[in-house]
Amino acid sequence: MISAYFIHLLILIGIYAILAISLQLSVGYGGLLNLGHIAYFGIGAYTYTLLLFQGVNFWICVLSAGLLSAFFGWMSAIAIRKLRGDYLSLITLGFSFVTYAVLINWTELTRGPLGIPGIPRLTIFGFDTNENFVYMILVFAVVFICYFFINRIVSSPFGKVIEAIRDDELSAKSLGKSTFRVKCITLATSAFFAGIAGCLYASYITFIDPSSFTFSGIIPIILIIIIGGLGSLPGTLLATFLIILLPEPLRFIGFSSSIVGPARQIVYALILLIILYYKPRGFYGKLDLE
Amino acid sequence: MDIFLQLVINSLIAGAIYSLIACGFSLIYSTNKFIHFAHGGVIVASSYIFYFLFSLLHLEFYLSCILAVILAGLVGYLINLIIYEPFRKRKASNSILLIASLGVLILLESFMLIIFGANVQTIDYIDNVQGLSFYGAIITPLQIVIIISSIILFVFFYLFMKKTRIGKAMRAVSDNVEVAEIVGISASRIYSWSFVIGSMVAGVAAILISLEQNIEPSMGTGLMIKGFTAAVIGGLGSVPGAILGAFLLGFAENFGIWYLPSGYKDAIAFVLLFLFLLFRPNGILGIKYNTK
Repeated sequence: MISAYFIHLLILIGIYAILAISLQLSVGYGGLLNLGHIAYFGIGAYTYTLLLFQGVNFWICVLSAGLLSAFFGWMSAIAIRKLRGDYLSLITLGFSFVTYAVLINWTELTRGPLGIPGIPRLTIFGFDTNENFVYMILVFAVVFICYFFINRIVSSPFGKVIEAIRDDELSAKSLGKSTFRVKCITLATSAFFAGIAGCLYASYITFIDPSSFTFSGIIPIILIIIIGGLGSLPGTLLATFLIILLPEPLRFIGFSSSIVGPARQIVYALILLIILYYKPRGFYGKLDLE
Repeated sequence: MDIFLQLVINSLIAGAIYSLIACGFSLIYSTNKFIHFAHGGVIVASSYIFYFLFSLLHLEFYLSCILAVILAGLVGYLINLIIYEPFRKRKASNSILLIASLGVLILLESFMLIIFGANVQTIDYIDNVQGLSFYGAIITPLQIVIIISSIILFVFFYLFMKKTRIGKAMRAVSDNVEVAEIVGISASRIYSWSFVIGSMVAGVAAILISLEQNIEPSMGTGLMIKGFTAAVIGGLGSVPGAILGAFLLGFAENFGIWYLPSGYKDAIAFVLLFLFLLFRPNGILGIKYNTK
């Protein structure tokens, strides 16, 4: 029997895997260095929670969380239409700050910094997800669907267009591809899955507040896709395990809980710098970060 | 009318602080051509250095100011030497440097969090004196000092860039690295000089911030947003533009929260940044850089 602690870690790994795989679609395949991914995660979590408390059907909650995130992904694509490189990253990063500011200040809707406690877990297909083991299976099922779906996209002809735009936008345009539309679809799909990950997170932790969706949350996700290698889905899965498990020993060294948080950030930041320096292509990366 | 005047004064103070941050950031960007997020981390580090020297070691006020500014320069120098220089030797792309600088920012903030704790610290050098009333608006002596010292610093900075050898070399490198190297300017020396100078200006900003507000480890990110927003809307890489942009940002924020809750301050900065990038990506002063 797997201990409760490992089930907890596996669920976290599952949620991060969904986030990282979906970010891989926009960064690794689409070449759009999107630093605002955590915002879609937050939008998904809040949409799901708020609708659920209105008594809306579970499936509609999940679907609308995904779709609203996708909508914001589409909007971000419109916003960054003319931008490249640094500026694109800045604007997407800015989007996560604006989302955070709205979540924390729109107190009538989100209860601001107090957060929303007591999010119920539901019975799905007759399985009671209050049992963590069942929940883990649910999360893995979603990871599988997400992996399968994104794998299908990137190996389809449409996926080749996405990669073509990353490598040479002008040539793709000259072949009659609407690069802007493709970017919109890429970012919207990527945001959709981040929103779904948000639902899973909210109902697993049963409590959400804006501080879970701050910009520093993007660091582990970026780290995962860089270590896994840009444009490699199996690498991303492998890296997710590694990155979530790596700082766990910090818990057992006996640091006080106020130090574990920053210490984990330090570990992430150091690994990020070392990987960027020694192995900028990660495990299975096919391309460099431009 | 009173509120209006008060908001003007608040905007000027905010603008003065932002412009110091933006100045250093812009200088580093203009020579190095990548976004140095860790500039915010340098500010956090130097305000804690100042706090440590003045409030914990009880050094004399002016001595701790000078030491804090020098150490801020040293922090900038070391970041460049230890982190960025090896990346540059590997010909890393701008995106890699950008992500690396995010890592450095997180690193500096987390170190400060571990060493000094998450609590907000205050530096009580100047007692809360009664603010001067100025046609119904209130301004404290400290705030006057902030505005005056930033103006003095701008003049120094301007003269430094125009008159000294290093300043001229910096402008040459920011214009065209290859040509500058041909005429015998060592680009890597200029890179580290721009980090030293930029971080020292950030150190001054850090001291003013820690006197005017409280300091906490997580403030670096917020200040960094203000710094680069100001630099981008002023025209990235142009120092006078950065100053202009900083005051514009100060006004936009303070007049914005006339209507909105004050928590939206950061969001206002980003909306402004966003509008500029959409409609005028080269900033107010319109210098053409690699926005595409």
